[in-house]
Amino acid sequence: MNRFIAILARIRWQDAIDILLNSYILFRLYVLFRGTHVLRVIAGIVLLWIVQRVAVYTGLIITSWAMQGIIAGATLIIIIVFRNEIGNVLQAKNLRALLWDFPHRRNLTPVQILTEGVYELARRRIGALIVLPGRDDLEEKIQQGIPWQGRLSREMLMSIFWNGNPVHDGAAVIRGARVDEVGAILPLTLRDDLPHRLGTRHRAAVGLAEASDAMVVVISEERGQVSVAKGNQLIHIHDNLELSRMLKAHAGIHRRHHQGPRKERLELGLAAVLSLVCISSIWFNFSRRLETLITMDVPIEFKHRDPYMDIFDTSDNFATLSLSGAGALIKSVRPDQVKVKLDLSRAGVGKNVFNLSERNVQLPPGIHLKRVQPSVVQVILDKPIAKMVAVQVDWSGRLAKRLIMQRVTVVPEQVSVIGASRELRDISTIYTQKVALGGIERSGQLMVNLALRQGTLKLSDGYEGKVLITYLVHPR
Amino acid sequence: MCVRITAIVVALIGIVLAGMVEPARGANQAGADTSGDVPRLTTAVMCEAIRNYAPVHPAVVFSISARKVSCFTAFDAVAKETFIYHKWYHADQLSTTKRLYLKTPRWATYSSIQLREADKGPWRVEVTDRNQQVLETLRFSVTD
Repeated sequence: MNRFIAILARIRWQDAIDILLNSYILFRLYVLFRGTHVLRVIAGIVLLWIVQRVAVYTGLIITSWAMQGIIAGATLIIIIVFRNEIGNVLQAKNLRALLWDFPHRRNLTPVQILTEGVYELARRRIGALIVLPGRDDLEEKIQQGIPWQGRLSREMLMSIFWNGNPVHDGAAVIRGARVDEVGAILPLTLRDDLPHRLGTRHRAAVGLAEASDAMVVVISEERGQVSVAKGNQLIHIHDNLELSRMLKAHAGIHRRHHQGPRKERLELGLAAVLSLVCISSIWFNFSRRLETLITMDVPIEFKHRDPYMDIFDTSDNFATLSLSGAGALIKSVRPDQVKVKLDLSRAGVGKNVFNLSERNVQLPPGIHLKRVQPSVVQVILDKPIAKMVAVQVDWSGRLAKRLIMQRVTVVPEQVSVIGASRELRDISTIYTQKVALGGIERSGQLMVNLALRQGTLKLSDGYEGKVLITYLVHPR
Repeated sequence: MCVRITAIVVALIGIVLAGMVEPARGANQAGADTSGDVPRLTTAVMCEAIRNYAPVHPAVVFSISARKVSCFTAFDAVAKETFIYHKWYHADQLSTTKRLYLKTPRWATYSSIQLREADKGPWRVEVTDRNQQVLETLRFSVTD
């Protein structure tokens, strides 16, 4: 419990936005895909994932591996198999519909008109094929349909399927209260278990019903029999009430009538809560289980130094930090977000010792300091002074044995150097860089650079870093 | 006339006697005042060896193969016995200090160090009086 409270206390505003945003995305996916097969398949994949996690937990290696493979494959399969439904959601709707609207399940079909029209056709023994699309896109399944765009009426149906009409052999596609297309050719079923008395019209009705979620009403020309193809079923309709009930069920009217807007709101509300719970669980899973530890070397920033003093030496210029946090957060840490600062406002001349702790470390939210090294930092501060020091040549190598170097003069003999008073106190000589004796055969002169300690000493203004050496050599 | 001659002779004798006595008095005065005086350094050189109380091969660069280097100093006007120091510095760090006695009226003295491989680099010897006043600084290098 304490750990849970600790995790809650560590929630940043970015985490809250993260959870809410993803919860809403999940909720919108539900709203857009509800009632379709996509949601059911996704639910199946989630179930597989749970099985896979259980398999991992219990050490079932092969099961875990197999589930992982199936889930990976299933994701691809969803995109391929349900590409039409996904496409309908993403393409057919505008941005507002995607982000905000709560779409009604289907366009309302005038069931009464359709029922009367169908039975009028049946009574007159006029063969007909009427397609009522569901959510699936039928564009690739129906061919050669002629755009009609006529308002649905009993007379319109009679006219379309009248024997003298050139399009009477095809199917009429009805969307909402309009006849969208006529003369459409439907795919034929390949099933061989259908009765032989059923002709091409019935086979076309079953073919489309198998391949989509559309409902197809078919009227037999010979017997005036009304049948409905839905899914893999071909149902013979006995009366207009039964047809009316099936049409309502397909249009979702029956369900909506019983559910009412209040129940639908309850369903959406429940979906929203479940989305929030689901994403929150995932977030907590990340923040709790994916605790990652990294090590960073961060430069130490020395702050508030007395402007009259310089830092002449430090025991450490970098601090090694061991940081922990959720893997995603740790990966997103940039070097400029992590700082180690030492306050030198109370430091004096000489050696100052500071304890390095989490108080000196600045971290981005969600990242925690496990350890900092070194725990102690020494800083040597001093006021710079100028001092005149002698210059001496630092000879190296070997002078020829037959020669003696009798005298050396250096110009200038002394130079003024600036450095820490503590350091300069012990310095009385500045040396040149190494001067090789090897090539010297006679007396001569050389210009040589001075070898100043890097970073701690520098020459005063007016002094160059070079001196002129005049040397006198004689034979022994 | 005799008196004048006698007076002149006495004066001359007085002058002669005064001339004879003055140096002795000056010496006494010097002896009385030299307790704080510094002996005068007349020679200070680095050399490879000392032979017959004289430096051999004075130089400023010495090979480690010579195994030894010496600092020779000579003083005059040494009023009384005193001592000086030879302070040997290697790379600006004090390596050794030699205390050397001086005797009147002139004196030469020296100090030496044995050279090792680690002694390569720049050296200096500070010659100081008993009060640590630097009389001379000799700079040299020990090389291959």
